[in-house]
Amino acid sequence: MTVPAIVWFGLFCYLPLFGIFFAFKDFTPMPGRSLLYNLFVKSPWVGLRNFSYLFRNPQSLNILGNTLFYNAIFLVAGIVIPVFLAVILSEIHQKKFSGLVQMVLVLPYFLSWVIVGYCVYGFLATDQGQINSLLQVFGEEAVRWYQSPQYWRVILILVGIWKSCGYSLVIYLCSITAIDRTLYESASLDGATFWQKAWHITLPMLRPTIATIFILSIGSILNSDFGLFYQVPMDSGALQEVTQTLDVYVYKALMQQANFSFSSAAAFLQSAAGCVLLIVSNLAIRKVDKDSALI
Amino acid sequence: MNNAEHTSFVRPKDSSLSKRGNRLAVLFFVILIVLAFLPVLLVIMSSVSSEDSVAQFGYRFWPKEFSLEAFRYLGKSGSTIPRAFLNSVFTTAAGTLLGLLIMCPCGYALSRKEYSGRKGLMIFLMIPMLFSGGLVSTYMVNTQILHLKNTYLALILPGLCSTWYLMLLRNYFMTSLPDSLVESATLDGAMPFQIFRLIAMPICKPVVMTVAVFQVFAYWNSWYPALLYIDSNHSELYPLQYVLMNIERSIQAMIRDSQYLSGMNTYSPPSITLRMAMVVIVILPIMILFPFFQRYLKTGLTVGAVKG
Repeated sequence: MTVPAIVWFGLFCYLPLFGIFFAFKDFTPMPGRSLLYNLFVKSPWVGLRNFSYLFRNPQSLNILGNTLFYNAIFLVAGIVIPVFLAVILSEIHQKKFSGLVQMVLVLPYFLSWVIVGYCVYGFLATDQGQINSLLQVFGEEAVRWYQSPQYWRVILILVGIWKSCGYSLVIYLCSITAIDRTLYESASLDGATFWQKAWHITLPMLRPTIATIFILSIGSILNSDFGLFYQVPMDSGALQEVTQTLDVYVYKALMQQANFSFSSAAAFLQSAAGCVLLIVSNLAIRKVDKDSALI
Repeated sequence: MNNAEHTSFVRPKDSSLSKRGNRLAVLFFVILIVLAFLPVLLVIMSSVSSEDSVAQFGYRFWPKEFSLEAFRYLGKSGSTIPRAFLNSVFTTAAGTLLGLLIMCPCGYALSRKEYSGRKGLMIFLMIPMLFSGGLVSTYMVNTQILHLKNTYLALILPGLCSTWYLMLLRNYFMTSLPDSLVESATLDGAMPFQIFRLIAMPICKPVVMTVAVFQVFAYWNSWYPALLYIDSNHSELYPLQYVLMNIERSIQAMIRDSQYLSGMNTYSPPSITLRMAMVVIVILPIMILFPFFQRYLKTGLTVGAVKG
């Protein structure tokens, strides 16, 4: 029963794993020969040279900085905002209304980045965009959004939160549902206010869920959502300085410059850092609170 | 677990929110959902605006002049859009079904204690979650060893399985399928595969539906494989999302098509509203199906919370 799944994981997960070698080789594809021959026989070992190129490239620091900056913000906002909303929403009296809120907020999660890109475009288009029309009503100059990098950190963060917040909200809401209601009843008898109950009951009970999500996001700290940074700014060159993250860079190095060694070194770094961080943060959390650890 | 919907809300007398607090909270959420829905609303309203009114006043929440010309143009514009729509439907259906066919038996096997390779298989499935080869080698393997470039398979195969869904299935099989049921069926002489098909699957329909729903959305929304593996001279393979992504080029193609269809009679397409109309065509199926799918989402999340 497990054979098809094993075959699939072998072909699509384990076969690419030997691509780690790309990062330590000077790979040049030769037509007419198989990939394995080119990689193992034709390409010379270069040790860590690909990595030193990567770190000497002046762009790299900027790219790495962007990736870490956005991920740090999403890590914090992706926990604080949905938890805050879920705590309030779980106590709302009108059940139907709560269902409606969840439905509307989770909808963006199921739209593709292409669609999200156009939703944003409706607001930011230079000639027809909603925001420029509004600016003109107030007698302000129209802004060429897709040429103005200074606004895009905020825009990307807002869009990222808009898309993912609803889904996390539903996850936390499900965990809150599992909390024993008698805890709240006895707290009410002792005269606890809403915020006291949220702080002393709901948050501690949510700790395992929060820890799980935290560990998983730490593990992907060097990965970024390619769609958000490529699709939403419509791949605008003028915005590169604030929108280019490691994933976008790897994609461009591979597809536009056919620079294999370079981009695979970056990809290796991503994978390795993620793996190490995931294990470390899991260990750290296990030290603090054994039940919250993932593995 | 299945009645999550009934237990997930608090009766007013148990709620920690006072009447006034509740009113404030409701107001807050009303504002929030209106804000969250605005971007989608803007796209929908823009798609039913007339080209002239958009050119003059921009995309508006309430168009100056309603018009369906963008949709009419899409209807007449030859084969690009219908073809892409069918491609999307096909890859979505094929990917979802094939993925379930592979994952369900595996998830069931993982949940059975008498299956001896259970531990090893779990580790085998977990490792790709920790470590992946990265884009470069994935791309090289898929194009040079598996030869997926410019085929439908490139759009279907890479997203077929995921460790997440396997764990979801395993957890559900473990908690919802009583061991005694499987044991008595074995005593009656049923083969493992019979038990899986006749007993396990019907009981575990909710979680199978959950995985199906996630996969349907994932395939319907997928554009990344097309970006990587489909060249521009194979545009007959483009899924809807990718056509939308390449909208400028797509509009050129549509003009060519419609010129070809209607002889020399050229008229300029409503290109500003056209892109929004295409967005609406992509999101409409999602919005229609969404309310039906929503309850399976919760099943998945509550089961997923069970650690094992």
